Amino acid sequence: MLLLWLAASVATWVPARWTAQDPQSLELLAGTPINCLLMEKVSPEFLAAASSRGLAVLLTLRPEADLEAVLHSAVHAGLSGLVLEGAFEQAQRERARRALAQTGLPLIELPPRAHLRLDRSGPILGSYQGLWPGIRVSEKGVARAAPTGSPWLETNTGFLRYLRAATDAPIWIANRPPAGPTSMERYLAAVADAAIIGARWVVALDPDFDGRLQRREAKALAAWKRIAEHLKFYEDHPEWRNWKPSGQLAIIIDGTSGALLANGIVDMIAVRHVPLRVVPRQRLSQQALQGARIIVSVDPAALDEAAKQLLRSFTRAGATLLSGPPGWKFPAPTVDQITLDEKGIESLGEIWREVNSVLGRRNLGARLFNVAGMLSHLLASPDGAQLVLHLANFTSYPVENITVHLPGSYTRARLLAPGEPPRELALQQIEEGVAIEIERVSSCAALLLDCKR
Amino acid sequence: MTRRELLALLGGGAYAAPARSAPVAIVRARGYEQGLEAAVAGLFDQLGGLGRLVKGKTVTIKLNLTGSPASRFEGRPLGSTHYVHPRLVGAVVHAMGRAGARRVRLVESCWATGGPMEEFLLDCGWPVRALATAAPQVEFENTNARGKGRRYVRLKTPPGAWIYPAYDLNEAYEQTDVFVSLAKLKNHATCGVTLSLKNSFGITPASIYGDDAGLEEPNENPTTGRAAVFHFGKRGPSRSAPQEFDPQSSRDPGYRVPRIVAELVAARPVDLAVIDGIETVTGGEGPWIDGLRFVQPHLLIGGLNPVATDAVAMAVMGYDPQAVRGTPPFHRADNTLKLAEALGVGSADLRQIEVRGLSIEQARFPFPA
Repeated sequence: MLLLWLAASVATWVPARWTAQDPQSLELLAGTPINCLLMEKVSPEFLAAASSRGLAVLLTLRPEADLEAVLHSAVHAGLSGLVLEGAFEQAQRERARRALAQTGLPLIELPPRAHLRLDRSGPILGSYQGLWPGIRVSEKGVARAAPTGSPWLETNTGFLRYLRAATDAPIWIANRPPAGPTSMERYLAAVADAAIIGARWVVALDPDFDGRLQRREAKALAAWKRIAEHLKFYEDHPEWRNWKPSGQLAIIIDGTSGALLANGIVDMIAVRHVPLRVVPRQRLSQQALQGARIIVSVDPAALDEAAKQLLRSFTRAGATLLSGPPGWKFPAPTVDQITLDEKGIESLGEIWREVNSVLGRRNLGARLFNVAGMLSHLLASPDGAQLVLHLANFTSYPVENITVHLPGSYTRARLLAPGEPPRELALQQIEEGVAIEIERVSSCAALLLDCKR
Repeated sequence: MTRRELLALLGGGAYAAPARSAPVAIVRARGYEQGLEAAVAGLFDQLGGLGRLVKGKTVTIKLNLTGSPASRFEGRPLGSTHYVHPRLVGAVVHAMGRAGARRVRLVESCWATGGPMEEFLLDCGWPVRALATAAPQVEFENTNARGKGRRYVRLKTPPGAWIYPAYDLNEAYEQTDVFVSLAKLKNHATCGVTLSLKNSFGITPASIYGDDAGLEEPNENPTTGRAAVFHFGKRGPSRSAPQEFDPQSSRDPGYRVPRIVAELVAARPVDLAVIDGIETVTGGEGPWIDGLRFVQPHLLIGGLNPVATDAVAMAVMGYDPQAVRGTPPFHRADNTLKLAEALGVGSADLRQIEVRGLSIEQARFPFPA
């Protein structure tokens, strides 16, 4: 019973790293949805103040910490739980799990991607490793192009899509901003990059921003308010976390064929705004592929006979199966490396040409126009009554005049965006379904559609 | 240098038709919002009015949409930097309609795609529905492949041409009474300037002249640019199209690209040149060029001859339209205007060109040397 209550409670935690030791700093959290602080050191006074505000405080430990000593004292300190962040040895992790299991306190593990165990049931699934979301800029300040010709987007969504599909646990990604000053837009992108997939970014500020915020400088306060507004936007719609990715393209992939890497096949397809359902090889089923018109199997050699039989049944029913040659399979990440090397990026270009030739210009759930520099994610409600198309703008400027073409019939379209009133949008009938024009997206938005039943 | 080249560069010689002189107009336009339609109307009035040119005719407007719509400079709208602006396109189309044009067709060989032009324009953030209703009959054609047409048409280059005897193009370039080059006032990394002449480089289909063009037949799904065929001559166009006169000729882009442009303009003459200099960039043709700078010259330049129009535009930019290779802006290339002049397309001699509206001095907006 306690464990169930604990799991439910942890699932609602909206986490942030917190460096200030002053209880007064907690005033900055008023009006924000943040209710869980990850701290590397914490005083009894601070804990008491946090507790009085209903905030959970987690002590974050790194592999070099004296685990025994901390485990002993943590239980009595009034902490809400512990976080193991980093590449802990297996024996250390087991010891911590056993120690905390006796107390009822949650243990949250944020390992490197290479150490993720999807078959374990912890209160949270997450990693500290992630890219800092945004458009990759070359040394000369020019946006770099991906093999697809679009600006190269640094995103964790491919990794998160895979985790989301592979597990039912709440997901955290605890990547930190670069050391230098970072623009507010990049923080908003970090929030959206995780939230559109149904995950949570563990809010972390660069030291410059953090310092200015603690000194209550006006510009920092305004940026902090905007970040909180974006967190709240997604927390106000918890139902979206239970909605499933929609679209007629399914990709079968797992951790051994590149799903844990950044900038991989899933990211490459997503940057082209093709609605995509990630199907972990271990969760491959008739239901997981339902409605798929194109199936990409990244590592067909890893499929067992039953899985092959299932794919054959889909192709007999008219679906197109694209089976990757050995070169499509990328290795699992190492502890220090989560991105592709130059050779891998070259391979991606070749893969994209093949995938693109199969995709053509078909509408596989949505077609989006004028969305370079953005990410999107299409989700359907469990009853099929609604769709939400998430839009995250990674550029430093508002994107104007976006067009969305959707197959099917709809009775209503609304655009929701942080800090803005909902906007009703016109539905124009076109050959492939409906067209919807979106005048402007500043940082992120959600296009909510009521389906005609 | 071959005999053909020598004769061509002698300023006409035996092969060149007499140079034409035509008026060029310059007007001030404050921006793409208020007053734009009046500025466009004023430009065409200075040229004697559109009616006599377009009434009852099919007008084909070649837009200048360089590179991928995903490539943006400083996040600005494409029309404010290296593309022509959609509001200007709308104003020109509307003016054509009001002047009695029977049909207005917007064309461009859209970067790396053979898909519908309407979708490419949506990717640019353009108001396609509004454009489609800016005149009684507006059509869109992506000429990067065969498009909606049934065939390619072969347009011959005149005597004196250097690289190709003819070009195979989307049939929209033949099925028109009036051909308009709607270009941008900007530099070009290879050719020095991108104006109404250089805009015609984009009438060629990548299905035939692209890096991934079919070896024998056109590739109707092109996904690349034309550098291998045109800039560097590393490969030929699809064998279904005319091949080079001399595959041993120079492979230098500064030699080849200006000549190809001059040949294209001679093969598909431009009846009206309009140059969008309201907002633009200096230093290159697109964001992939280092050192670009956003500027607002607030100018529209138009003329009935593209060489004369580009000569005036160059003078407004602070350049000598007679400049030779190695001098600004032709640092790495031959002068496209002079080459077009050699093929009899028009005159780049400012003394022979009547400038109406603003004078060159009044309009002067220096671009980088």
